[in-house]
Amino acid sequence: MSLYVAAFGFGLVIAAVIAIAAVGFTMQFAVTNMLNLAYGQVMITSAFVAYAVNSAGVNIWICLLVAAVSGSILSVLLNRFLYAPFQRKGIPLVGMVIVSVAVSLVLSNILLAIAGPDNVSYLQSSGPTYSLGSFQLTAAEIGIIAISIVLMIGIHVILVYTRLGRAMRATAANASLARNSGVPTVRIVDIVWLITGGLCGVAGAVTSMNSGSFTVADGSSLIITVLAAAVVGGAGQPYGAMLGALIIGEVTSLSAAAISPEYEQVAAFGLLIAVLIFRPRGILARVGVGSSPK
Amino acid sequence: MSYYLVTIAVYFAVDAMACVALNLQFGVAGVINFGFILFQATGAYVAAVLSLPKDTAHNGFQQYVLGLHLPFPYPWLAAILVSGLLALPIGLVVLRRLRNDLQAISLIVTSVIATLIVTNSTPFLNGAAGVALVPAPFAGHMSPTGTPYEWLYIGVAFACAVLVLLFATRLTYSPYGRTLRAIRENEDAAGALGKHVYARKVVIFVVGGALGGLSGAVLVGYIGFWAPSAWLYPETIILVAAIIVGGRGNHLGAVLGALLVPLGFEEVTRFIPQFGTSGLTPAIEWVVIGSLILGFLWFRPRGVIPETRRVFGPTRDG
Repeated sequence: MSLYVAAFGFGLVIAAVIAIAAVGFTMQFAVTNMLNLAYGQVMITSAFVAYAVNSAGVNIWICLLVAAVSGSILSVLLNRFLYAPFQRKGIPLVGMVIVSVAVSLVLSNILLAIAGPDNVSYLQSSGPTYSLGSFQLTAAEIGIIAISIVLMIGIHVILVYTRLGRAMRATAANASLARNSGVPTVRIVDIVWLITGGLCGVAGAVTSMNSGSFTVADGSSLIITVLAAAVVGGAGQPYGAMLGALIIGEVTSLSAAAISPEYEQVAAFGLLIAVLIFRPRGILARVGVGSSPK
Repeated sequence: MSYYLVTIAVYFAVDAMACVALNLQFGVAGVINFGFILFQATGAYVAAVLSLPKDTAHNGFQQYVLGLHLPFPYPWLAAILVSGLLALPIGLVVLRRLRNDLQAISLIVTSVIATLIVTNSTPFLNGAAGVALVPAPFAGHMSPTGTPYEWLYIGVAFACAVLVLLFATRLTYSPYGRTLRAIRENEDAAGALGKHVYARKVVIFVVGGALGGLSGAVLVGYIGFWAPSAWLYPETIILVAAIIVGGRGNHLGAVLGALLVPLGFEEVTRFIPQFGTSGLTPAIEWVVIGSLILGFLWFRPRGVIPETRRVFGPTRDG
């Protein structure tokens, strides 16, 4: 039993990490209507930028900020110079998936050429361990969960209580109607890439903090976990992504404890496939709400 | 004839088959099968375990299921059949009511899950190490080493490729193929004209999967070895790149793409002197493949040999 309590604790940390990434991913999808498969590579690239700064002796928590900034810059550039021009050209949605796959190949291999294939890890101390029975977390893990909660609340406040958030939701619901109503949609889309890129960067760095060591090749498995969380909760819905992250985090962690760590990803993906079969619009989807079928 | 050139010839036949099969799905019907490599892998594994003897042979240094030690045509036919059968449930689930881009992504995920399962369950297909020592298919008729055998294998591989190409071309220009193109261009319109979009897509998914299985069987019969590292999901992206470069919807274009991208890149880079760290050349190779996809989509989205646009000509009686 204590094994499962401990696994539940690990699951919470994983969920906190995935939530940051999945909310960013799903907001990109909601506002720009494209599935950015290069997201995992932007995450890992930001993690490596943070690593470069961290190796120079800067504290890891400050490096998270660096990762956020680099994720933002990279995402805005990607959108400005690749995704937006291709979308203006009238490439269909599936074509955009191919574009983003190509981008992720280019990005990850440029990073590979620069950073090399080796495993690296941050200079960090995980601090004292706090335990409650067999439920135990290190100070660093509590820090990660706290960051995640603060970011989630921040996103909620922006989306619900600000003009910017309202403009974002309007653009997501119907971009041309929003534009006709005076919402500067091009600028809104840029801001969305800026914000979600920041989330993506932070997520990349905290994932790498949490997993101890990381390598360039991690980008492609990260994107699949993020996708799973976003789709399970309902693609394009930030609150769904938070719920999806919690589910995927706990499923991977508990199944690793129950079956074997090799199958933790299989369990999460199996869940994803089941959701795609039975509730293709996600657990939180309401009938008649959400993105249009085409 | 040197071993190297034979290898290139067999690889070309295999890549051409795979590209034509994927082109039927992606180019003609508009179904982006990002998990295509899974079906090639299935064909290869099926052909391998059916032609291998029981896994207790060779002192049991590898583990796998079956091991029926069947003679030549049966493992290949079974490879076609099983890959097609595997495509059926996947197609039924994925193609049903998902948006097109979500379909593409579900197929990537399926391919990744399959890799994870095969890698982690060693008794099934010998895990990450893969199955080796697959017998040469025509070893019963002549010695599997030496020039005559190599020519025979090239001949068989090319015959398979030509058959696949002819089959795909006939299918594409049949009324069924016309329906597929209509679905690709506008799914709703095709549905409104009474075409059963879902059924047509599932059928082409199964047909493409079966042809992919054949390509895997031909490949494993030659190299005699198959492991998860040979069918990671980026391999599908190479094939997609080949089709985009060659010309979507045009099977000759797909063959040309097979010649340019998988073959061209893997072989040309062999002659570039090694520089930098050991992983640098493959990394640059991938950057080029990614840039190739982006460049073609931007500058020449219809590929080197564009699909011929079919229009109704003026009828004789006006």
